[in-house]
Amino acid sequence: MTVPPVLDPAVLESLRQLTPPGEPDVLKEVLQLFLDDVPARVERLRSAWQGGDAVAVQRAAHSLTGSAGNIGATGLLGVCRQLDDVGRAGDLSNAASLVAALDAELARVQSEIKSLIG
Amino acid sequence: MPSLRVLVADDEPVSRTVVGAMLKKAGYEVSFASDGDQAWQRLSGPNPPPIALLDWEMPGLAGPEVVQRVRAHDEQAPIYIILLTSRDSSADIVTGLKAGANDYVTKPANEDELVARVNVGARVVELQIALAERVRSLEEALANVKALQTLLPMCAYCKAIRNDQNYWEKVETYFHDHSGVSFSHSYCPNCYDRFVKPQLDALEDITEAQRRQKGR
Repeated sequence: MTVPPVLDPAVLESLRQLTPPGEPDVLKEVLQLFLDDVPARVERLRSAWQGGDAVAVQRAAHSLTGSAGNIGATGLLGVCRQLDDVGRAGDLSNAASLVAALDAELARVQSEIKSLIG
Repeated sequence: MPSLRVLVADDEPVSRTVVGAMLKKAGYEVSFASDGDQAWQRLSGPNPPPIALLDWEMPGLAGPEVVQRVRAHDEQAPIYIILLTSRDSSADIVTGLKAGANDYVTKPANEDELVARVNVGARVVELQIALAERVRSLEEALANVKALQTLLPMCAYCKAIRNDQNYWEKVETYFHDHSGVSFSHSYCPNCYDRFVKPQLDALEDITEAQRRQKGR
């Protein structure tokens, strides 16, 4: 069984295709924005979870689904959706393992991005 | 045809940038807002963009709340609003459309679908602009017709008309200025018999007299 790619190559290619002629690469810009913006959102989610605030967990997870989906980070997107669901349900009893999975997925995506944009 | 302006409101920089790049590639002029309050300010301010894409969940005002406010505000030139949502349940979609949104797109947006839906919005906006222009020119025409319908003081002898500045104008001038009508001058059969024919006869008499004088 092959391991699915951290970042969906089809999504990356379609982002590259958005670059207007003679302008900086949109793919690079978007990946850099991800590195700059997303870790703070993960931290917000973590402190919401630590504080037992299901509504804030849902909000943070929801905002992460958008960023993860847009760069084709399929694994990360899956974890964010689950956190979105548990937050919406208001039951954080199983959130610990999801938060750990979120950290692991984010680390994979970050190292993949760094290897892509240098 | 100048490119239409589109506002993209989303608190996530990644989503905002991707959606913006898709629309720029499709030829739109894109501006951004990073939360609901900013979006509302932009849409309620002077010269708002005719099309807006609003994220459903944003800090400050959420997408549907911005839509409600805009709809209570924009009677003259309605803004075409598309909600961006990762909520796919029909109950949510109904909420968004009831709030006054024209359409919705699920996130992450598929480029072809997003651009196609914004193009629909652009067609609606262009149609509205064309209709507004048509109504304006019809109203203008109607105003002219009304001006002609009012009671006109006319000289009973020379048929001159007294205009609004209390000045007597020829009937041709008056109508030309008030309705754009132009006149070509001719004569009716009665006037031909009364005025033209006697003049022509007189002219013929003179010519005949001259010929006779020369021949002598």
